[in-house]
Amino acid sequence: MLSTGFKLWFGLCVLMVAAAIFAGYTTGGTETGPISLGWKGGVGNHVVYTLLMIGAASMAVIGIVTQAFRDSDLEAASELLGTEEVPEAQSVVGSSWWPVFAALGVSILAVGLIVNSAIFVIGIIIVLVIGFEWTMTNWSEKATADPKLNTELRERLMRPIEIPIIGALGIGVVVLAISRILLSSSVTGAVWVATVVGVIIFGTAFFVSKRPSISRGVIQSILFLGIAGILVAGVISAVVGERDFHHKGPHHADKSHVDEKE
Amino acid sequence: MTTTDIAPDSVAVTSEQNQTFVERLVTNTSNSSIGKSWIFSGCIYFIFSTLLGFLLDIVRFDSDSYLIFSNVDKFFQFWSLYRTSIVLLVVVPMIIGLAMCVVPRQIGANSIIFPRAAAFGFWVWFLGSGITVFGFLADGGFGSPELGSQREAVALTLVGLLLVIAGICMSAICLLTTIISGRCMGMNLRRIPIFSWTMLVSGTLWILTLPVLAANSIIAYVDLRGRSAIYFGSEDVIWDQISWAFTHPQIYVFVLPVIGIVYDIVPVAVKVRQKLYNHDLVLVFSALFGIVGFGAYAQPFFDTPGTPVREEALYVLTAFLAAPLIFLLFGGLFETLRMGSKNVTKHPPAPLVLSLLSLLLLISGAVVGALRAIEPFELVSRSSTTAQMKLTIGAGLVAIVAAMLWWGERIIGKSAKQGFGLITGILITAGALLSGFADSVNGFLGLDDFTTVGFLQEVSAELIVKTLIAFSFIGSLLIFGGAVALILVELARFKNGSLSEVDPWGGHTLEWTDEIVIVESERPLLDEAEKAGT
Repeated sequence: MLSTGFKLWFGLCVLMVAAAIFAGYTTGGTETGPISLGWKGGVGNHVVYTLLMIGAASMAVIGIVTQAFRDSDLEAASELLGTEEVPEAQSVVGSSWWPVFAALGVSILAVGLIVNSAIFVIGIIIVLVIGFEWTMTNWSEKATADPKLNTELRERLMRPIEIPIIGALGIGVVVLAISRILLSSSVTGAVWVATVVGVIIFGTAFFVSKRPSISRGVIQSILFLGIAGILVAGVISAVVGERDFHHKGPHHADKSHVDEKE
Repeated sequence: MTTTDIAPDSVAVTSEQNQTFVERLVTNTSNSSIGKSWIFSGCIYFIFSTLLGFLLDIVRFDSDSYLIFSNVDKFFQFWSLYRTSIVLLVVVPMIIGLAMCVVPRQIGANSIIFPRAAAFGFWVWFLGSGITVFGFLADGGFGSPELGSQREAVALTLVGLLLVIAGICMSAICLLTTIISGRCMGMNLRRIPIFSWTMLVSGTLWILTLPVLAANSIIAYVDLRGRSAIYFGSEDVIWDQISWAFTHPQIYVFVLPVIGIVYDIVPVAVKVRQKLYNHDLVLVFSALFGIVGFGAYAQPFFDTPGTPVREEALYVLTAFLAAPLIFLLFGGLFETLRMGSKNVTKHPPAPLVLSLLSLLLLISGAVVGALRAIEPFELVSRSSTTAQMKLTIGAGLVAIVAAMLWWGERIIGKSAKQGFGLITGILITAGALLSGFADSVNGFLGLDDFTTVGFLQEVSAELIVKTLIAFSFIGSLLIFGGAVALILVELARFKNGSLSEVDPWGGHTLEWTDEIVIVESERPLLDEAEKAGT
């Protein structure tokens, strides 16, 4: 049986074919050109004809996919799952980080397009990663009829990939940011910065370890503020640039660096 | 393969009990939560936009005070920001927010279809709106780099606009899919409530027309950034290229759900069953009104020499069709009002009064639109354009206030002070009427819309023009007052509002019940009540 979705897409496909043929005849196409896709004569305005035919083909493909997977057909889903009750059109999906992160990625990409190509690339990476994660989440939710098992399936598949990559990226970004801060400071300043950052991290860890009942929200806030602070300082330092290095010796033979600021 | 003994938490679907407030705020995918986010953000931009409108009218009243905006170019930027924001950052988002909360309930769906995509739509719009406003504040906007606007900031504004459009379209797709495929058994398209129907029509038209606006922005962006490689010729006249979206006929598409709001409120408020033929006619006429509002073709920037699009038959015809269509829609409502007049008390519900006021504004906007299309009057580039926009958008704003008072009981679960809500709506109505009337008359007196060169000099030319501008200024002040009042009403509802009943109005449609109801007509709850003999 033809699904409603298929009828809609097929109808649009027919409409676009008709529009393409009409456009072909009214823009100088020959008698048989527009109806033979240009095989037997001219199709008139090539751009309009081609766009409409591509549109029609796209509609046809979507229609076939819709029919093949019996999309939105709840009775078919009920048959497939072997349940007597027709499932809900949209099951409740709970909360999700993907929408906000995806939107953030798209926004970073858009701003990067204007501000800096590196930010643009970061945006693309975020969008691709979130797109992949989102896809896997959607796949896992429909893997079986048991939501708990679906969650486990996703975890087994994605956690071994997510944890090392997120960990490496997190460490990499923080190390990069701290290196920018150290390189933009004077030699003595860099020593002080490293000391102060170390003391803050040690002190915070000590404080948290002494309060086992501390709430998750407080720890999250501390970590967020700390990482955000390092990142902001890193970005500012990168904009300021590295301190000047003076190379000793006539032909830069000596690689030791002396800070001019001192 | 090794497995963990403890089932790990999902990254995407975290347990909601363990979430902090911020986590809940940004990760929630329930339609009601997303809807509230849209409405709240729209309210914030409502204050911002109307304040901006007020400042702009100060400059119109006293041309020397354009220095508030530092120079004429910046004044122009903020003038165009006002038009953009009042439509794309206030009216459309608030209507989407209402629809997110109300439409799934109305058609018997348990949730919006594609809830994550709906959340994505909101966040893209939210971040895009921030980028757009930042672009304006950074001396970009739709200004011209030739006149001193910052090129990068102009590009940022265009990119922000693209994100705003993407967010709106994404949300419209989710709403349309819900209406098409999420309806409960028995709820055929002929039986869906009028608000859902008008959302179906307007959502379709948004998806058809907003990508055209996006294409305009992309062309302008390419000109701005890639001039050495390709140049379409629009870098210095960006506003000319996108202004079609904020005037006749496109402006009607954004406020089409006003008809749905009015038609869902009035029969319930006057406690009568709207006649079936009347219901069917409303479906047809509101769809026709939407089609009349399709405005992507009406782009003066792409006029062929000698044939201005604003003088073409289709443009003029749609201007003349809009007014009778609204009169016809009002006629249907009039019959319902007549039948239910005996049920209306001395103090009718605030949403009923505001619904009728919003229809009055819509009619006024359509009439000004029709007058504007009469070629001998030469009103196309006059301040009548502003008048039509203010009246039509005013209709949208008043209808939104009415809808908040009506469905807010169900969306938020608390009652608002109806009297204060009524004052809010009346302030906006009075402001829009005053401002719209003054700008209409000024159009006849030859006052230019901003885009014409020499606007600021003409403003102070004649006493009557200046007096009318003063009226327009007072109107803007009233609308700003209405925006502030709306926020106060909603804050008071959150803080002190009493818990509302499931069905405080005796509603006719499914959003007013938590029970399973068999749908056999377009008013299933009224059927149930009649069967029960109440």
